[in-house]
Amino acid sequence: MRRFLYADPTVCVGCRICEAICSFHWEKTLNPKKARNRVRRVDPGLDVVVACRNCDQAWCVEACPEEALRRNRQGIIIVDAKKCRGCGACVEACPFGAIFLHPETQKAIKCVACGFCTKYCPVNTLRILTEEELAVLKQQKVIQHECANLLDELRVEGETKERES
Amino acid sequence: MGRKASLGGYAGQHLYVDMTKEQCKAVPIDRQFAITYLGGQGFASRILYDKVGPQTDPLSPENVLIWATGPFTGTLWPQASRYVVAAKSPLTGIFGEAHAAGHWGPELKFAGFDTIIITGRAKRPLYLFVDNGTAKLLDAKDLWGHNTNETEEMIKESHYDPSLRVSCIGQAGENLVRFAAIINDYDRAAARSGIGAVAGSKHLKAVAVRGSQDISVAKPDRYLEVIEELHKKMLDSPFTASRAQYGTTNLVELMQEIGRLPSYNMRSGVFAEYQKISGEAIKNHYLVKPRADYACLQRCGRYTLVRTGPYAYCGGSPEYESQSALGSRCGNDNLESILYGHHLSNLYGLDTISTGSTISWAMEAWEEGLITAEDTGGIDLEWGNHESIIKLIHMIAHRKGFGDILAEGSYRAAQRIGRGTEKFVMHCKKQEIAGQEPRAQKSMGLATATAARGADHLYAFPVLDEVGFDEEIGIRYGQEYLPEMGDRLNPKFKGIMVKENEDFCAVVESLGVCKYGTLIPPVLFYEDIVTTFEVTVGLHLTEVQFRQIGERIVNLNRGFNVREGIRRKDDSLPRRLTHIPAPEGPSKGQVVELDQMLDEYYEQRGWQLETGLPKIQTLHRLGLDDVIEDLRKQKIKLPQ
Ligand code: SF4
Ligand code: SF4
Ligand code: SF4
Repeated sequence: MRRFLYADPTVCVGCRICEAICSFHWEKTLNPKKARNRVRRVDPGLDVVVACRNCDQAWCVEACPEEALRRNRQGIIIVDAKKCRGCGACVEACPFGAIFLHPETQKAIKCVACGFCTKYCPVNTLRILTEEELAVLKQQKVIQHECANLLDELRVEGETKERES
Repeated sequence: MGRKASLGGYAGQHLYVDMTKEQCKAVPIDRQFAITYLGGQGFASRILYDKVGPQTDPLSPENVLIWATGPFTGTLWPQASRYVVAAKSPLTGIFGEAHAAGHWGPELKFAGFDTIIITGRAKRPLYLFVDNGTAKLLDAKDLWGHNTNETEEMIKESHYDPSLRVSCIGQAGENLVRFAAIINDYDRAAARSGIGAVAGSKHLKAVAVRGSQDISVAKPDRYLEVIEELHKKMLDSPFTASRAQYGTTNLVELMQEIGRLPSYNMRSGVFAEYQKISGEAIKNHYLVKPRADYACLQRCGRYTLVRTGPYAYCGGSPEYESQSALGSRCGNDNLESILYGHHLSNLYGLDTISTGSTISWAMEAWEEGLITAEDTGGIDLEWGNHESIIKLIHMIAHRKGFGDILAEGSYRAAQRIGRGTEKFVMHCKKQEIAGQEPRAQKSMGLATATAARGADHLYAFPVLDEVGFDEEIGIRYGQEYLPEMGDRLNPKFKGIMVKENEDFCAVVESLGVCKYGTLIPPVLFYEDIVTTFEVTVGLHLTEVQFRQIGERIVNLNRGFNVREGIRRKDDSLPRRLTHIPAPEGPSKGQVVELDQMLDEYYEQRGWQLETGLPKIQTLHRLGLDDVIEDLRKQKIKLPQ
């Protein structure tokens, strides 16, 4: 089961706290370019958290000439820093822009879905999910959106009944 | 370029930019300088005092324009996004500063610099590109004439990098409109003091920044624990939820409730049609989504969408000040025009407060028959004529026709037109008063009169007496001042409140953080700063030391202004607010008892009652002996 970091772009406010927390978690310093995730704002205000999806057939793994990328038992793609030579082939290969080179070591860094940043999100939209869980979330949202009126009616009916009884 | 400071929090370097010679130079920040003035407003105040004096024309090459962040900018303190831009103001002729949030300030530090200090004037339009520890001036010929959003887009495109951050001026700054703003991240405005015109006068179109350098943390083992506590306190505050929902837009409703929503050029503090321009109206019809600046838990930023019609746009939402300035102040209840007018002001780089306030001055003069169609070139200035308001915004930015006169600000415009229009100028020290009708809250009246940059609600930002924060007042100022201090209509103890607030605000703006969370809601205070400073910067400064730094900065600002001739007589308000009782609403019958409050304020400050000059012993106690000496050389006799 693939797990990855996800934030709902309609909820995320783009504060970038998760970036700062991630860089602090791994490097004990504040530097968004050392974060394993990236918050991109599509102006004027849609914010998208970009993080590795640990793809089933991972482009980055296939692209790496040094075999520095591998999948661990939890299904997470891991960078072997000893093998990585910082050529950036993985950066080119990843269709999401979810893997980067560390600004000092020049080795690949990426989100490993450790979940550390999630508890700092002020709007509580950051979580580690599987595809299955993401689908459920989205279904829920669609239902709420599509059936807003129906739900309202049900609620009103419920309330009226309560009042009558 | 340069070496890194040993202190945490700071990037460790000033960037000096000489526009005339087109040269950039990095200079390490002295440790003692950092401890004495902290950063942000403090740094800018000291540099400006030293480099700019009475002989300097604000729009000449000799003026100095300073961008400054603080040691908390770009860290995880809640709302750590702020920077200040300062210069001698072309609007007021005295100390000028403006502040903004967004992501630009943090990025400047990631690029390796705490401040940027601009001198001289280039022969051609240039923009500054600060790229990871390096800096260069680049040709801005193609950018000149473009609005702020286009400028930002074009710079991003030319560097193939949508993630770099831009702070820039629009046409208003280029055309030296005296209340032009500097805009970063598309719609975050460092608006006041006409700071954008100073950039324009130097032919500096923009400052683009990016970097991948650390903001180091002095005590990493304790850092997260401290930050977690701050975040928890912030998120637990009931105000955070309301801020997230409305930003500051629903202040329209709250201000109306206490008669503090200026309408019709501040004749009144209530606006009959307030519901049409309210936060609720924005939320129900135009709000798309709240949006946060760097490390912001308050997320008062938001963006809005007007789908169709002449005012269609999608972009930053106005906040309370713009709603009142372009709305109630001008008798305008057309919300779409307010949203759009605010957006236009961001595009052109205009301060909405001064824009709306200057237009409302003209509208009142029109009503009185003192300004006619002959002056305006046929534009009708009837209260609430939103089409005219929008037209004037275009004309001000381009200095076209009547807009050219308005571009001077209401004070100068009235001087020019005369005919008795002067008495309708709602200003202090030539800057337009913000949307805080002071007859309904006396502390705001005093704060407006004493603020260093001229009329200003933020220099002291007294808000705890607004709607009953008595408990917090007891904690912050002392139980002995209750109940009077908590009563917004009672002038008593407001001198103490404003003095303490000015000092605290100076600390807050010097650290590079927001007044939300520190002033309102009153969650984070000195003790939080002491702890966070220790784990971030690595130095233990006591609460007493921080308070003294705040006081030092305020006195330094006063020293600057005293050198420009500012005295007690200038710490004034329009007669309308001090002598004419509020005509209607919950604060009906009130005036601002300014003199009484000023006496108490000067007393607290250690300034002379009659003149408002700082006493020698006050400046000496704050370590400002060089200011005493400098003022003596300028033949200004300070009282003992
Ligand atoms: S780095 Fe990109 S390609 Fe590789 S697993 Fe993650 S998302 Fe897929
Ligand atoms: S889940 Fe872990 S690795 Fe991924 S962004 Fe969050 S803290 Fe960084
Ligand atoms: S912390 Fe949450 S709201 Fe902030 S940028 Fe990350 S996901 Fe978005």
